[in-house]
Amino acid sequence: MPIKQTKIWRFFSSIKLAIWLLSIIAALSLVGTFIPQNEDASFYIERFGSAGFNFLSKAGLNNIYSAWWFIIFLILLAFNLLICLLNRVSFKLRMLGTLLAHFSILVILSGALIGLFFGEKGYIKIKEGETINSFVSKNRLVKLGFSLRLDDFIYEEHIDVKEKLIIYAKDGSVLGELSLSQGNDLKLPGGESVRILRFIPDFSMDITTKQVVSRSSEPKNPAIEVELSASGGKDTKTLWVFAHFPDIHDALGKDYKFVYQWVNRRPKDFISRVTILKEGKEIFEKDIKVNFPLEFNGYSFFQSSYDKENLSWSGLQINKDPGVPIVYLGFILLISGLIIIFYINPLLRRA
Amino acid sequence: MPNINIYLNSAFVGYFLAMFFYFIGLLFPTKVFPLLARFFSLAGVLLLSLYIGMRWQAAGRPPLSNMFESLIIFAWGITAVFIFIDLRYKIKSIAVLSSLLGLLALGYASLLDKEIAPLLPALKSNWLTIHVFTCFIGYAALTIGFAASLILLFKKGNIENLDSISYKMIALGFLFLALGIISGAVWANSAWGTYWSWDPKETWSLITWFVYAIYLHVRFRKGWRGKRAAWLSVLGFLAMLFTYFGVNYLLSGLHSYA
Repeated sequence: MPIKQTKIWRFFSSIKLAIWLLSIIAALSLVGTFIPQNEDASFYIERFGSAGFNFLSKAGLNNIYSAWWFIIFLILLAFNLLICLLNRVSFKLRMLGTLLAHFSILVILSGALIGLFFGEKGYIKIKEGETINSFVSKNRLVKLGFSLRLDDFIYEEHIDVKEKLIIYAKDGSVLGELSLSQGNDLKLPGGESVRILRFIPDFSMDITTKQVVSRSSEPKNPAIEVELSASGGKDTKTLWVFAHFPDIHDALGKDYKFVYQWVNRRPKDFISRVTILKEGKEIFEKDIKVNFPLEFNGYSFFQSSYDKENLSWSGLQINKDPGVPIVYLGFILLISGLIIIFYINPLLRRA
Repeated sequence: MPNINIYLNSAFVGYFLAMFFYFIGLLFPTKVFPLLARFFSLAGVLLLSLYIGMRWQAAGRPPLSNMFESLIIFAWGITAVFIFIDLRYKIKSIAVLSSLLGLLALGYASLLDKEIAPLLPALKSNWLTIHVFTCFIGYAALTIGFAASLILLFKKGNIENLDSISYKMIALGFLFLALGIISGAVWANSAWGTYWSWDPKETWSLITWFVYAIYLHVRFRKGWRGKRAAWLSVLGFLAMLFTYFGVNYLLSGLHSYA
């Protein structure tokens, strides 16, 4: 009996199977969007109770997209596609679009498979000045063959135009306003000048050394250090102005009232300034930003996270995925196939 | 910054009058009402284009970064795509429904915060424009496909044109949704090092794409036409709505901005 007439071949070449598989995969994916995936056990226990967590983890519902039964449905779909393709393959022009569109899905899936088997993916937390030459991927150590040093981590923020220092006279009239996004200096009508020396997001003073430090980068207690100079710049005094504690006064508060109107700052950029070294020699420097990874020797380094409490740490994701070009080829084939099916074939039919 | 809201408000008036005259045209069949409606549709789209352009200039970045901005693009897309359908088919009931959906999108947008906020680092990429534009052209086409399908479900008699509009819009929407998903994948790979992470927005866009894939397969291979196909189109549209709104309001993930 020719293979195309066997029951199994007929089963896998049926459009009905394709529709069932698409529906099942869609339905399972849907479940996965409502149950948060790949969280820690404590997360599920808190939300669903320990019995709930047991059920979810036994059923694989806490990582659906890598559960064996989900993968099996994907494999069945791939198999279904392959058999349908073999069944209907003919090199007629009007079949080209259909062939491309379906073949492309197989290409994308095989690219994904290659990434799964031959790709590496890891995450490193690195401190300014530190150098790394390996990372952990799939529970084993991967040697990079070169090293990477974090020279500097830079966190930039957007300063709203409404964030300003307002200076009032004793009688309550406004003497001047200094917008933090515009500049640091302001001349008051009386000839004195006001200057902002620095901004501290989470003000804290070391009691023994009287050093001012920021406890974290989170704006829990935003403060600015302001310098006030008499006209001519002879007599200079500095003071701290707190956004959340407008009534803290010190000596200068006698003649003026300073109000720091603070507006939540939005992150502008996270930048890891790194140097690549090979055999101890510096090869090049680069700024890794979100959307602008560093690529070297087949590895890509992505700005992935940072430590809000301590801005000298940076989190980098390291990747190597040889499947990506194949996946992208699949993307191109898919789009070409769809364009041919929807827009070229009708023209051919008419002609 | 000059006050650009005047363009948005005028576009809203244009959208409203277009819907109004399409509706009047349904009640009093003369040639003048559809003509007026088409004029206002076109005016609405042009005004909205001006608004988008000026907001782009004022912000120094494409205005595609939050729910408000995406709704503006959505409303723009619905009418921009629909004008072609209207010129070709001139079916009044679809015109009323499509212009109503465009107006709803614009009306919903007007309830939201219009302030221009700086872009988050994750959105600073040239892919933003391509990704959002392709997704929303797709959404707009699928919305018109839905309008045609919905009317088809309630209509007796000749439904051939409605069926044909449904199919054409779904084909266009399917292609653009594919482009949207792909551009999102390429962008994610260049920003985070992974082209697919089963984020709820990604997953729901894939679910939507699958529903329409089923629509196309039963249409091509099983010969489904008319009402049976239209039900699937309605289902696909519901999935699309959930991808757009439901994921943002009910689920959390990488797409929390819009």
